[in-house]
Amino acid sequence: MGAAPGAEQQTESVGTADPGVGIHHQDAGFQQQGFMTTTIDAVVGWGRKNSLWPFTFGTACCAIEFMAAAASKYDIARYGAEFIRFSPRHSDLMVVAGTITYKQAPILRRIWEQMLEPRWVLSVGACASTGGFYDCYCTLPGIDEVIPVDVYIAGCPPRPEAYFDAILQLQQKIQDASYMRDRQNRTHERIHIG
Amino acid sequence: MSAQPAGPGQAPTPATDELRQEFRTRVFQVLAQTFQAELEPADRWGLTVVLPGSRLRDAVAFLRDSEEFRLDMMVDITAIDYLGYPGHDQARFAVVYNLKSTAYAAHRLRLKVRVEEESASVPSVHDLFAIANWQERETWDQYGIAFDGHPDLRRLLNHIEFVGHPLRKDYPARKRQWLSTNDPLVAPLDARLRGRGFEVLEGAGLNSPTVEETGLLGKPSVEKINVVGRHK
Repeated sequence: MGAAPGAEQQTESVGTADPGVGIHHQDAGFQQQGFMTTTIDAVVGWGRKNSLWPFTFGTACCAIEFMAAAASKYDIARYGAEFIRFSPRHSDLMVVAGTITYKQAPILRRIWEQMLEPRWVLSVGACASTGGFYDCYCTLPGIDEVIPVDVYIAGCPPRPEAYFDAILQLQQKIQDASYMRDRQNRTHERIHIG
Repeated sequence: MSAQPAGPGQAPTPATDELRQEFRTRVFQVLAQTFQAELEPADRWGLTVVLPGSRLRDAVAFLRDSEEFRLDMMVDITAIDYLGYPGHDQARFAVVYNLKSTAYAAHRLRLKVRVEEESASVPSVHDLFAIANWQERETWDQYGIAFDGHPDLRRLLNHIEFVGHPLRKDYPARKRQWLSTNDPLVAPLDARLRGRGFEVLEGAGLNSPTVEETGLLGKPSVEKINVVGRHK
């Protein structure tokens, strides 16, 4: 990994197998002294995506599969998302696992609003994504009627592997977001509002 | 001869076809003589007895208290909407009561009361079986059949702003109804807390915004976030 002393200037990815962080250095001597250069976006995204705190809004069998995904055999901790909170104020990933009715929809919306930003939503399984086979008077045809969804998971219920696929997709999405651009936009909004 | 009743903590004698048939014969005889009961010919597997609504309460109380039958468990109350049912020429609705015995395994009985669409009501049995309170509320909610004498005939399953009764056959199958408030139980909860001597802080997070305030209905927005009380 480290270059030999006196090596020519080079650019290479070091420090991690994670391609998203993209830590680059121009000077091998610089790195040997314990420094590295990167971007704020890369580091913030790297930190966010590897420390997701899920909040489970489990209403049906998809939540049972989430328990399997979280427990020791499949072990969601491998993706840094094992710290499952039951308060929306402690969490940044809402896992909507199960059927949502019209009676529940305003409650789901309110809990989502109680989560601090940045926040993400997984829509798990047929029911949360589309209403599933509950094409009836009482079931919401997809939670995206009331809250924005980041990743949809197919299945009835999905296997733990599908959860992990969704978490990997979400991690990519988080890494691709730009913290600095969001921050700039927020600052502009504040100035406009006065 | 019928089986012995099961005492407290005992399992009842297992039901046999003979015991079931013997129970059906006896109970129908009594109901027909005393409560003008008729046989429902559509039931080919068990025993369904059609009663006039005016005799329902007497019959249920009799069956519950009778030492001979001991039908002491109200398993379910539901209804049937016969609108468009092939060959049906009687009242549009029927309310169905499923009774069973905890002492005799063979004792199971279904009572049926025919209900005209205009009146759409039957006498309540909530004082005979406590569980009937919620079972009748559910039947009211889904079928719009009123239970005379019920102390608290509110919807049980559908939300408080729901209009109509969805299990009626003429309810539009694809009709959807939004709920505009996120917690209708907050006001009763506040009242209960005040009744117990607690002080409920105004605007301390328990007062729910309405759906318009939160921007629900397909338009996610984050502008309005609920104001929450803070801990000291």
